[in-house]
Amino acid sequence: MQGTNRNVSGKQPARIPSRHNHGAPRQKPNIKNMRQTLQRIWRYMYAKKKLFYLVLIMVVVSSALSLLGPYLLGVTVDHMVADFQTNQLTVMLILLGVIFIAQSGAVWMQNYWMITIAQETVQTMRNDLFSHILLLPLPFFQKRQSGEVMSRLTNDMENVSRTLNSSVIQLATSVLTLGGTVTIMLWLSPLLTLLTLTIVPLMYWGMRWITNRTGRYFKAQQRDLGDVNGYVEETLSGHHIIKAFSQEERVTAAFHEKNERLRDSGYWAQTYSGFIPKLMNSLNNLSFTIIVGFGAILAVNGLVSIGIIVTFTTYARQFTRPLNDLANQYNVVLSAVAGAERVFEIMDEEPEKDGPQAKPVDRLHGAVEFRSVDFAYQEGERTLSNINLRVAPGQTVALVGPTGAGKTTLISLLAQFYQPDGGRILLDGRDASKLMRASLRRNMGIVLQDSILFEITIRENIRYGRLKATDEEVVQAAKAANADGFIRKLPKGYDTVLKADGSGISHGQRQLLSIARVMLADPALLILDEATSSVDTITEMKINDAFQQLMKGKTSFVIAHRLNTVKNADIIAVIQSGQITEQGTHQELIKQNGHYASLVQSSRTQKNG
Amino acid sequence: MKEIVTYVAKYKAAAVLALLLMAVELVVELIQPVIMASIIDTGVVQRDMGRIGFWGAVLLGTSVLAFASGILNSFFASKVSQGTAYDLRKDVYERIQRFSVTQIQRFAASSLITRLTTDVTQIQSLIFMAMRIMLRAPLFIIGGVIMAFTVNVQLALILAAFVPFLLLVMLFLMTKGVKLFGSVQAKIDRLNSIIQENLLGIRLVKAFLRNSFETDRFRKVNQSLMETNKRALQLMETVMPIVMLGMNAGIITILWLGSIQLETGDAQPGEVVAILNYATRILGSFGVFSFLLMNFSRGKASAARITEVLLEPPEEQLDKSDQGEHRMSGQIAFENVSFCYPEAKQPALQGVSFLADAGEMVGVIGETGSGKSTLAQLIPSLFPVTRGGIFLDGKPIESFEMQQLRRQIGMVPQQAHLFSGTIKENLLWGNEEASEKEIIQAAVDASIHDYIMSLPRGYDTVIGQRGINLSGGQKQRLSLARALIREPKILILDDSTSALDANTEARVLQALRRRSCTVFIIASKISSVKNAEKILLLKHGELEASGPHRQLIEQSAYYRMIYQSQSEAGVFEHAGNES
Repeated sequence: MQGTNRNVSGKQPARIPSRHNHGAPRQKPNIKNMRQTLQRIWRYMYAKKKLFYLVLIMVVVSSALSLLGPYLLGVTVDHMVADFQTNQLTVMLILLGVIFIAQSGAVWMQNYWMITIAQETVQTMRNDLFSHILLLPLPFFQKRQSGEVMSRLTNDMENVSRTLNSSVIQLATSVLTLGGTVTIMLWLSPLLTLLTLTIVPLMYWGMRWITNRTGRYFKAQQRDLGDVNGYVEETLSGHHIIKAFSQEERVTAAFHEKNERLRDSGYWAQTYSGFIPKLMNSLNNLSFTIIVGFGAILAVNGLVSIGIIVTFTTYARQFTRPLNDLANQYNVVLSAVAGAERVFEIMDEEPEKDGPQAKPVDRLHGAVEFRSVDFAYQEGERTLSNINLRVAPGQTVALVGPTGAGKTTLISLLAQFYQPDGGRILLDGRDASKLMRASLRRNMGIVLQDSILFEITIRENIRYGRLKATDEEVVQAAKAANADGFIRKLPKGYDTVLKADGSGISHGQRQLLSIARVMLADPALLILDEATSSVDTITEMKINDAFQQLMKGKTSFVIAHRLNTVKNADIIAVIQSGQITEQGTHQELIKQNGHYASLVQSSRTQKNG
Repeated sequence: MKEIVTYVAKYKAAAVLALLLMAVELVVELIQPVIMASIIDTGVVQRDMGRIGFWGAVLLGTSVLAFASGILNSFFASKVSQGTAYDLRKDVYERIQRFSVTQIQRFAASSLITRLTTDVTQIQSLIFMAMRIMLRAPLFIIGGVIMAFTVNVQLALILAAFVPFLLLVMLFLMTKGVKLFGSVQAKIDRLNSIIQENLLGIRLVKAFLRNSFETDRFRKVNQSLMETNKRALQLMETVMPIVMLGMNAGIITILWLGSIQLETGDAQPGEVVAILNYATRILGSFGVFSFLLMNFSRGKASAARITEVLLEPPEEQLDKSDQGEHRMSGQIAFENVSFCYPEAKQPALQGVSFLADAGEMVGVIGETGSGKSTLAQLIPSLFPVTRGGIFLDGKPIESFEMQQLRRQIGMVPQQAHLFSGTIKENLLWGNEEASEKEIIQAAVDASIHDYIMSLPRGYDTVIGQRGINLSGGQKQRLSLARALIREPKILILDDSTSALDANTEARVLQALRRRSCTVFIIASKISSVKNAEKILLLKHGELEASGPHRQLIEQSAYYRMIYQSQSEAGVFEHAGNES
């Protein structure tokens, strides 16, 4: 089953209709395999199956009681009207009381347990989805926007949860009450039942007439709403441009135009959809009229009792409501199933997997070899071709070349984020693809250019490098990375919680923290991406020094921007358009008098003004 | 909420009509049990078919009347709700457009976006509901009790005793529930931020093998989300069983008392039936009522957020008149300018003075946070200076009408923000009246014309969400062309050539020389500004030194240090051709 769902259909932005789409018929969600999806949800609920059966029993009980209540009410009224036997009446009243209490109790229990089931089921699904996502290979994340993945973990799961909370019980109750009501009504008075049922075709035609119209208007409204919201988003996030170009009047005018269109389409969509509850309500009133009017005629002729009329008026209400609920719930369930399908779609994505014969490695010595490695992100657009590079343990490799030449791709291959399309990468002489990925990564330390830190304390962020490190070791690493000084100056020191948007500490300081993190991990192999961003000179020197500390005795791959780093490297690899065009030490390459030499030359002339 | 009511007031007629129509429906439902009572008491009991027929017809007539009112109500209700939403969106948007940058930043653009979209929609559906059912449920409960009194006072007293009690119980439980939902939302936000963090840092999570660490972190928050959510939902779900139980207890009491009254002859059977009918219908209204309370509390929060924007006085005025275009030469002087961002303790700029002559190229250099971008934003008066003054052609900047001033300034910000639409539409932002020739000239000067022509649809290519994606460098060049089209007298490049390679950058700067405008180049690399007539060197918000490159090299040790550290860095980035 797995593998068949590998999403190749491209992006499908998960747009969940807004929560309060009051009585609005939704556009039909796109469902591929309803049965399979429901089965999978059931498998998640299976752990709670005992509770679930209890819920179902309670639903049967509460539905039965809700049918019994009105019936007994009618009987009681008949007793009251016909004869005044107080004893019997007392018994009836006590019975009614018991039934009402039992009904409330059953309703409460069914809801209480169902919420437990729904919430715990969704919790498990969410956990599974999240841990599965973390295992997915990087191309997955490249293919999709993070907002889309987010929306599956949040909106889609929320949708499933809400539906499980209420729809299961509502559906079951609706079907049971509907069946029960009709049965009892038939039993009490077939004639009156038939008269009551005349409203069903009316309801059907009425609904069809309305939904035929609303569908069209809703589509228009959805489009116009999307337009307005999109425009708001675009112009408000670019507000400084609008100001600087003094285009306020122009965007305001354009906005008004879109806003007007939305008002017009929204007017008709809302008006028509507003008909639905009114129709249902009127049909209720109509059935009430029919029952009372004809019931009275029948009662005069002694065919029914007054009690039956009372019972029927209540049943008629119980009968139109489930019909309405069923129609509503149907849409809700469909959209939840579509949401669940999007969730399962991700769970079916193949996670990063080691080859069948993959073996674990312990501590690597650090010998690396690229042997005619080819790689393409997209078919036909080769990013790296025929890369050959041999690095002895402890050597430093500086990767040099223009943006987009393939430097980042090369280190991404080394970090096992992607698999080469051709050729091999050898680590300590062994084919990397035949080694267990986790054990390899344990040997690698990575400092990315954009220094990603997490919203936890600085101490925990550094400890990310080695979870078992003591506080003392964390401080040691921070000191070695020249980060201790600034950390201590923060009001909360190592306990400062970092913010996601990067506010609070500077870019350079973030870089120092990410170096400390790797320092703590103490890997055999280092992958470094020197930052180009404008950090101030002092911090830059600190970073430089920290890098030197870090690289001592380790095999290092550095995407270098500083001449110093490059000059001191054991191997300089010049990468241009996906190929290594020059390779050697600084001296050798200068002698070669190729591209590298001209780079150094131009930097010298710049320096001397 | 008060503010919103004044917006609804604009549609007074439609709103009153909608409410009246709703009242008709309500009255019909209220009198139906009474009609039923008289059918039973005068018709069935006395075996009078004529009366049954008559009252039956009345019942049918009222049902039709209710239906017609309901349908008509829909038209008026949506007129009110859509109209109000339209007006709100219009006014809020206009208001935001007149906000100063400071104000927008204080609210945060993302928050303003939600207010304009989600919150307005929320209000709209609340109004629609209010026009249709919101008043109905409480009115029905009250009306039902009153009607019951007209039928039989003693039996009605029972209803009158039960209803307020149950209402109080419901309100109490629901306010507790709403509070719990608030903390559910906070936990959802927390969960979302973990997800976002992980998606952003997925490489890191993989590289450090922290799957299980992150999963644990996620599980913990997820667990507590689940528990709070469960508690909130379960609390809400106790409301209905309790209300049901209470009302049913009321019904039993009515039956019991009714039976005694029937015995003594104080009540008719029809009366008892009618009151029972009111009781069951009121019970039904309670369900709607709880739904409405939820929506109302949400709507109130939205209304508060919208009102906050509407009550914020805008800090910028659109120009009142077009009194004689005031062309400036491009000469600009800062005299002892200091600037402090709102709520910041340290000033971002302090005592900066310099003079830039018309047509000069001025470089601005400094570390991150030294105040370069702040300086740039003060020129088009995006922020007012805190102390000191800026003078254009010797006149204080405040004496210019804001829009006229900005019309003569071209701004190319750090982040090239383009709008969805065609390339041409984006370029015309600079100057709506630009001719074909001017557009092309600007594109040529920004070194983007050749690229545009290589696209199949050329200048009509759609970019942005629905169109093609541009690289960072292409965006920067388009954003530059957009600024050039307005033939500005002052052009500000705020670190906006960073994604260009050295050759392109040089070509662009060359082209700028040919235009007669004062150019400010803000850069972190000295190489970008070396040829400027004047370089301003900022340090911690103060002007450390200024002058041409050669002079600074000789006179400023700080400048020399930056220059040296940079000559060893960054060279490899820029060399080679941009692919």
